[in-house]
Amino acid sequence: MPGIDECLLEAMRLPGARGAAVVDWTSGLALGTVGDSPGGDHERTAAEAAELARLAAEHRAFAPEGDADWSENACPVEDLIIANRDSYHLLRFVPTTFDSSVFLHLWLAREEGNLALARIRLGEMAGRLVLG
Amino acid sequence: MTPVGAPPPRLPTRERTRIPGGGLSPMLSRLAEERATGVLMREGGMLHLSEGQVVYAESPATPGLDALLMARGTLDEDGWREAFVQAGERRRVGRFLIDSGRIGEGALELCHLGALFDAAYFVLGPSSAPVRFHYGEAHWLGPVHPVPVAALERETLRRRELLHAIWPDPTTDDAPLVRTARSSGRTVTPRQGAVLDRIDGVRTAADISRSLGRPAFHTLVDVRRLAAAGVIAAGTYGVAAGTYGGQRQPSAGVADHDPAVPAPGEALPPPYADDPHITLLKRLRDALEAL
Repeated sequence: MPGIDECLLEAMRLPGARGAAVVDWTSGLALGTVGDSPGGDHERTAAEAAELARLAAEHRAFAPEGDADWSENACPVEDLIIANRDSYHLLRFVPTTFDSSVFLHLWLAREEGNLALARIRLGEMAGRLVLG
Repeated sequence: MTPVGAPPPRLPTRERTRIPGGGLSPMLSRLAEERATGVLMREGGMLHLSEGQVVYAESPATPGLDALLMARGTLDEDGWREAFVQAGERRRVGRFLIDSGRIGEGALELCHLGALFDAAYFVLGPSSAPVRFHYGEAHWLGPVHPVPVAALERETLRRRELLHAIWPDPTTDDAPLVRTARSSGRTVTPRQGAVLDRIDGVRTAADISRSLGRPAFHTLVDVRRLAAAGVIAAGTYGVAAGTYGGQRQPSAGVADHDPAVPAPGEALPPPYADDPHITLLKRLRDALEAL
């Protein structure tokens, strides 16, 4: 059962990983960061990513058809993928048993990165981060 | 010639969130420099320091770590109590919870950091009351994820700006909250819905946070968004449940007085909180002031 820092270091071992963070999407607070961040400012990146994550998490447009689970802390969206010319951003929501609004943010170089692998691994990390 | 009269009266403005330029607490910065261990007591609550870093924060305005973890059964009361008995004296409660398998390290860190920054926002709130520091032993939780003072102050200022950007009027932060006439039929997000469901003219944002087991700053964010949408408004202090809507004592001689006029001795209802025209004008004024 890893802590925040171990989880982020594990994310950085993915091929093409440039930087990673654990962010609270209500406040925009970076709870932990590692590696680089676009523009070199982790706090600012966290606040901007939090805005996007909040919209995705809270609006019904992105929920699955039918019986989306809006109860407790089950976020109906699993992750967000953003692609640009040179990189991917992967935002993975972290389900917790207490009230929270947390996601993992991975910044991935497009050339070296493997989006499918990163998506699977980040999902596993999000689960392990809160096991127990 | 134009007669020169007295200057026009100053237009009324409301108090706005003040964002000071320097540090939030000079004493706190000094304690960080000297790597102090102990507890800083301010009007809004307490910050626990260990070797100059913040290891725990608590404020009556927001649920503590124990309340957050117990609200939805992440930990039960017995588990918490046992950890306290076993490791409280050694000041290693956090480590005990992890080692005994009651909670994962990541989960505890996430909840703890969330609670710490949340409480610190209220502890470091504007206040003119005296500040005290007691040198002494570290907090019973032990080091889970210590936070540098500078990072905490920076985040607290950022949070003030965030609330101010959502809606510049801070009166809903600590007043009893009421729903407005616009609240019915509005689509709100699930988390806002949970807040809206608990608004009854008596509860404040802090009360709602306790009832939800949710960090109070998170509630403030939703409360400001709902206030910006005109869905909720600040009520008046000292109003008991049920007095809104004209459930009042008939006063002698006035059999059926105007429900807009409260009976003597009764607290005033929120001025015009329900009038959509007035709320629209207020929203316009706030938007102009925010420019």
